[in-house]
Amino acid sequence: MMINWMPLLQLSDSQFPSGAFSHSFGFETYIQQDVITDAESFKEALTAFLDRQLAYNDGLAFWLAYQEVKNDGVDLILELDHLLYASTPARETREGNQRVGKRLAKLCLDLYPSHPLEQYHKWLMEKEGYGHPALVFAVVYGAMEVSGSAALETFLFTSLSSMVQNAVRGIPIGQTDGQKILVALQPHIQKTVRRIKEASIEDLGAGSPGLEIAQMMHERLHVRLFMS
Amino acid sequence: MTHTGVLHLKGEKRRNRTILSGFYEGAFKFTRPVYLDEETLSVYMIHIGGGYVDGDSYVNEVTLEEGAELSVTSQAASKVYKTISKPVEQVTRIYLAAGSSLDYCMDPLIMYEGARFNQVTIVDIDETSSFFYNDIVTPGWSRDGEPFRYDWYRNKLKVTSGGSLVLYDHLLLDPGKGVEGVLELEGHSHVGSVVLFHPEAGVDFVEKLSDHLEQQFPGVRFGLSSMDKGGVVMRMLGDNTQQLESVTAVVHTFYRETLLQKKEVIWRKY
Repeated sequence: MMINWMPLLQLSDSQFPSGAFSHSFGFETYIQQDVITDAESFKEALTAFLDRQLAYNDGLAFWLAYQEVKNDGVDLILELDHLLYASTPARETREGNQRVGKRLAKLCLDLYPSHPLEQYHKWLMEKEGYGHPALVFAVVYGAMEVSGSAALETFLFTSLSSMVQNAVRGIPIGQTDGQKILVALQPHIQKTVRRIKEASIEDLGAGSPGLEIAQMMHERLHVRLFMS
Repeated sequence: MTHTGVLHLKGEKRRNRTILSGFYEGAFKFTRPVYLDEETLSVYMIHIGGGYVDGDSYVNEVTLEEGAELSVTSQAASKVYKTISKPVEQVTRIYLAAGSSLDYCMDPLIMYEGARFNQVTIVDIDETSSFFYNDIVTPGWSRDGEPFRYDWYRNKLKVTSGGSLVLYDHLLLDPGKGVEGVLELEGHSHVGSVVLFHPEAGVDFVEKLSDHLEQQFPGVRFGLSSMDKGGVVMRMLGDNTQQLESVTAVVHTFYRETLLQKKEVIWRKY
């Protein structure tokens, strides 16, 4: 399949106004508590984040929604939207995903309109759905001529890349160190793509207990750079 | 299919009192219901077999009719032994009608070497009912002294309120893929959760409960947050059962006193 890479590049660009950069998804708690202090400790946490949080939550939901769109369906997207929302116990993270998802759906509807995206956006407007960035990206990529592996890989990489940008500002770590982590994680992302493809909806939502606690604790931090 | 254990409990309110009926088969049974005080009817679930073994499957059902109130607990910690051919499966369904109130307080689950445990709990509540749930998972003794020799533990708690999904709490502990590091158990061995639903358990309640717990339990790492429709989820990590049990008891009492205007539950266990 000839891939038109340009939409992928645009949507994964760090300048793309997705709103993800206001959220640390619990990492700010670890930074303040001196658990994440430098590039090494950040890399360890980010790898765990990819292994569990991204693989079994956002990544798997992305993959299932992408396939649904490829099979000309939409109903599963609403079900996944509810499952993702209900499986995030930390209010800030849940509402953060919701806010980013809604905004992204509207923006992408302007840029890359499609029938399934219209439907998802409509559910969000009518408050039947909550909104989640993973599902918006899945629907957008699913409506394009993009292979599943390329789409999933791009999605995972974009999520990690935005976490790296946050780490550069929040810890802080050097720009070069941040980019080195993204290089080091590339084979790991490919492995995660394979794992996600073997998983089913029964695996969806398996959370990391430590991360969930950090996300919940974030609500009570006194000084915060990030909204979650 | 024949299950290893089946247990059904049903509570109905008659003249301000909850009347309990039900049946059990196989390796599960429940005790004769007792009043812990004037208003708290309680029942103990007992595992006759001494523990969960390979291929076991259990089905439980608890139904509370309108206005009924019940506190359910287990009699002691449950042990899960090596499952060579088939993981242990346990499915629990809970139905809570309008204005009913259920405490579902389970003792710790001890996961031994080679154990696999798959639990699904489906809870259907009304927006006016109250629900308190807790669980604790601990690694069991192993020959080489290593803490995490069980294969995996999977627990799904699905709560719908007034027909819409409000919580899908899915916990997977898979030592083979690493559970000790950051984001997972972070050097702790025990995981505990508390889930509660009450029409008045909003953000304010979570704030007050957080203040109440602050600095009381230095050895336990915990977080709590609010869900839609009066839900609260609390997750905690610790190093022994007593720690997590005492946090759970404090949360339970705070919930009962603040939201139910009832006294703490003092279980009669040995």
